[in-house]
Amino acid sequence: MPSPLLSIRDLRTWFYTEGGIAKAVDGVSFDVGAGETVGIVGESGCGKSVTALSILRLIQPPGRIESGSVIEFEGKNLATLDDDEMRRIRGNRISMIFQEPMSALNPVFTVGDQVAEVARIHAGLGRRKAWDLAVETLALTGIPAPEDRAKQYPHQLSGGMRQRVLIAMALIMKPALVIADEPTTALDVTIQAQILDLLVNLQKEFGTSILMITHDLGVVAETTSRVIVMYAGEIVEQASVTELFARPHHPYTEGLMHSMPHIGHDQERLNVIPGTVPAPTNWPTGCRFADRCPYSWDLTLHDHPPLYDVGAGHISRCHLAKEPERRNQPHPPLVVEEGVDAA
Amino acid sequence: MIRYIARRLAQAAVIVAIVATITFALIHIAPGDPFSAVLDNPNVSETVRQTLRAQYGLDRPIPEQFVRYVGALAHGELGWSFSHDRPVLEVLGSALPNTLLLMVVALVGGFALGIFVALVQVARRGSIADRILGGITLLFFSMPDFWLAILALLALTYWLPIFPVGGAVDPVMHEYMSLGGRLLDRLKHLALPALTLTLLASATVARYQRAALLDVLPADYIRTARLKGLTERQILRRHALRNALLPIITLLGLSFPALLTGAFFIERIFAWPGMGYAVVNAISTRDYPLVVGGVIIGSIMVTVGSLIADLLYAWADPRLRGH
Amino acid sequence: MATEVARPRESPLGITVRGLLRQRSSRVALILLGVIVLIGLLAPLLAPYDPAAQPDIVGLKSLPPSLAHPFGTDPYSRDVLSRVLYGARLSLTIGILATFVSLTVGVAYGSVAGYLGGVVDGVMMRVLDALLSIPRLLLLLGVLVAWPHLSIGALILFLGLTGWFGLSRIVRGQVLALKHAEFVTAAQALGASRRRILVKHLLPNLVSPIAVAATLGVAHVIVLEAGLSFLGIGVPQPLASWGNIIQDGVDQIATLWWMSFFPGLFMVLTVLTLNILGEALRDSYERRS
Repeated sequence: MPSPLLSIRDLRTWFYTEGGIAKAVDGVSFDVGAGETVGIVGESGCGKSVTALSILRLIQPPGRIESGSVIEFEGKNLATLDDDEMRRIRGNRISMIFQEPMSALNPVFTVGDQVAEVARIHAGLGRRKAWDLAVETLALTGIPAPEDRAKQYPHQLSGGMRQRVLIAMALIMKPALVIADEPTTALDVTIQAQILDLLVNLQKEFGTSILMITHDLGVVAETTSRVIVMYAGEIVEQASVTELFARPHHPYTEGLMHSMPHIGHDQERLNVIPGTVPAPTNWPTGCRFADRCPYSWDLTLHDHPPLYDVGAGHISRCHLAKEPERRNQPHPPLVVEEGVDAA
Repeated sequence: MIRYIARRLAQAAVIVAIVATITFALIHIAPGDPFSAVLDNPNVSETVRQTLRAQYGLDRPIPEQFVRYVGALAHGELGWSFSHDRPVLEVLGSALPNTLLLMVVALVGGFALGIFVALVQVARRGSIADRILGGITLLFFSMPDFWLAILALLALTYWLPIFPVGGAVDPVMHEYMSLGGRLLDRLKHLALPALTLTLLASATVARYQRAALLDVLPADYIRTARLKGLTERQILRRHALRNALLPIITLLGLSFPALLTGAFFIERIFAWPGMGYAVVNAISTRDYPLVVGGVIIGSIMVTVGSLIADLLYAWADPRLRGH
Repeated sequence: MATEVARPRESPLGITVRGLLRQRSSRVALILLGVIVLIGLLAPLLAPYDPAAQPDIVGLKSLPPSLAHPFGTDPYSRDVLSRVLYGARLSLTIGILATFVSLTVGVAYGSVAGYLGGVVDGVMMRVLDALLSIPRLLLLLGVLVAWPHLSIGALILFLGLTGWFGLSRIVRGQVLALKHAEFVTAAQALGASRRRILVKHLLPNLVSPIAVAATLGVAHVIVLEAGLSFLGIGVPQPLASWGNIIQDGVDQIATLWWMSFFPGLFMVLTVLTLNILGEALRDSYERRS
């Protein structure tokens, strides 16, 4: 088995706030292979974005990547790399795409300038060459008439086009890994599909690995080959995409899948997982999902579950792996919201 | 863009018109004759008084006076200066270039210094250097213009005789100097007043620019710049500053009144022969036409300055360039 | 799980002031300002001499600082320290009263413009633009030179009448925002009278900008009044204001340095503290919204 491109071991990113230490990412380990597209799924606050920012070492105080965290990439530990070397990696070997195309581009520079800037910094290209490369890359992202568009300013482009510009910016140096943090959430539904297709195609063409971060299981189903589910700062399940959709193990993953609206189904109400994520300054000692879980029992309330192997490259952080018969004894979750029927 | 320019010009014209009306009202609301202070001057003979009365139509009804006033203004006639015995326009016209010189130097120097200090502060935000510089800018910001000028005068011309005491040129030797010598002489005389005004202007600019930069730094596109692998310094200078300059251009337009006022006091202290010096002297001699003329010209300068700043802003912000 | 005791709702001003006091610089500034205000109030008790007394025009004139006269004497043999102390009193009073006038006019003008809207608002704003184009000093020069021998009251009035432009804009903005705010429509639907809406909804939103404008306004007026007195058209002699004292010594700046230095020092301290407080108020107000 070829060694993975990115290997994260025991990543912990903690925020030292007035209200306490928020352990936003609390012991996360996973790999991303070369040419692979891996998805990280979870609701907001689960730590997926912080994980992405940690990989690129963009965590600002009061946040800090705790010592002992290992982010191995191309033979280096990014968690402890010095600043200059880290900068050489950003935009060059690892790049990132955000969800806010509206505001992610500088309004006072042309779009072409901003894409070309990456090449000027990392490849030392002169203005002319960098500009040409930028136009080429813009063409690859499917922007019509790229030479003209490159001379325009961000406010003259639509949301979908701006996202393509950001994708061009991320790909111009042909990085080994692209992290996409909710790249389509802020876009129209029709544009969403186009952008996702673009990403998948570009990935096939360049052989880049993609780490797709999203809360949308639909995006995951379409673009990724392996999925990681995060909750409360930890990984709670990981499997290939087909395996996860066919046999979700962790109750949280189950809940996520049931809350997806199904076209063709008559539903009176959307299924919602009752309760909310606990505060990151105060993670429960037992299973962190226990108070919202329909199967919880006293073991889960006191013992923090490790990642169990549930077969076929599928792991799950759930004591149901030890006592699977409990799955036949669902009960109302311990936390019930007012006025909401327990699922 | 053209439409924007045309609209701003029209606005400026309206403003000048209103200013003229306000000054007219000021002149005539004052008790007695607008020029009674002067006309009570025993040195002015009775015949002169009558002539002036008739000339200024002081015996005519107010609306007619207003029309004549506006007409005179349109022709650039600002009245007669009693203390100088010349038309107001001539007195102020010859003094204006000196004030403009002072203001331009202070504007350029003040903004350059202010932006530089702000950049230094933001690059080291939160550090001791940031706080010390912040304290210094606050101090200069809170200082009355004339007090700093007096201190500068005391310190650098009397106690340490580095600079000349006042004026624009050496009163005795200037004509006899070579071209180079004359230039140096002018520079030496310009130095202290310009330096004082520059320091005061830079304090305001530094404070605003620092705030503007800090406003811009959390923006998403700054995060994008970090993702691209730019150094903090590159991010500050290339991405942040360019956006933070926009509010500074607005500040430019708003700073003319303060700059003009500052120039007035500084000219007084350093005997710099500009418009401020002329107007300040006109106060003691009660040469009212000259004072009013100064008010009008000062307001026009401010309006023009503000107009230029607005146009500059529209040019600098691609979102406004009418694309 | 204990239930929380309901806390009385904090007024926006309360929040703003508390944010202000949290910073050390604001606390220091407040104390310093308090000291200066106290000096002004207690000037008659603190001043070693009568500020207007000219005891010995020959022997005691123009003396540099000494133990008997810590700030020296002026060309009329008056004790400068006493004059500076009384100057604090006068300059602060003028500053506060003039700012009060400014605030009143500013709120009134802005409210009317915002409330009436339409053409009237447009005209009022154009006039405001014009007024803003005349540097405040020049405007005052124009007025004060035409009216020589003004009383202090009139001086305060004119100072006040020239300082309301900025605030009226802010007030107008708030009134406009309020006019279109949803909760106003809701309140009207519930039958609330205009006055009630004004008082209950507009005023609390205005308190903080007014506080900021007041603090910074007093600072501006103090400097302005000093400048005018320095030019000879502000506070008349023999009353002592900081600007006046400087003016007395301006003809012999080099030899009478103490006459420029000490009044100016007090001025800078006062303005500095006011600026610190005003800006802290503004930061605190902006942060909470």
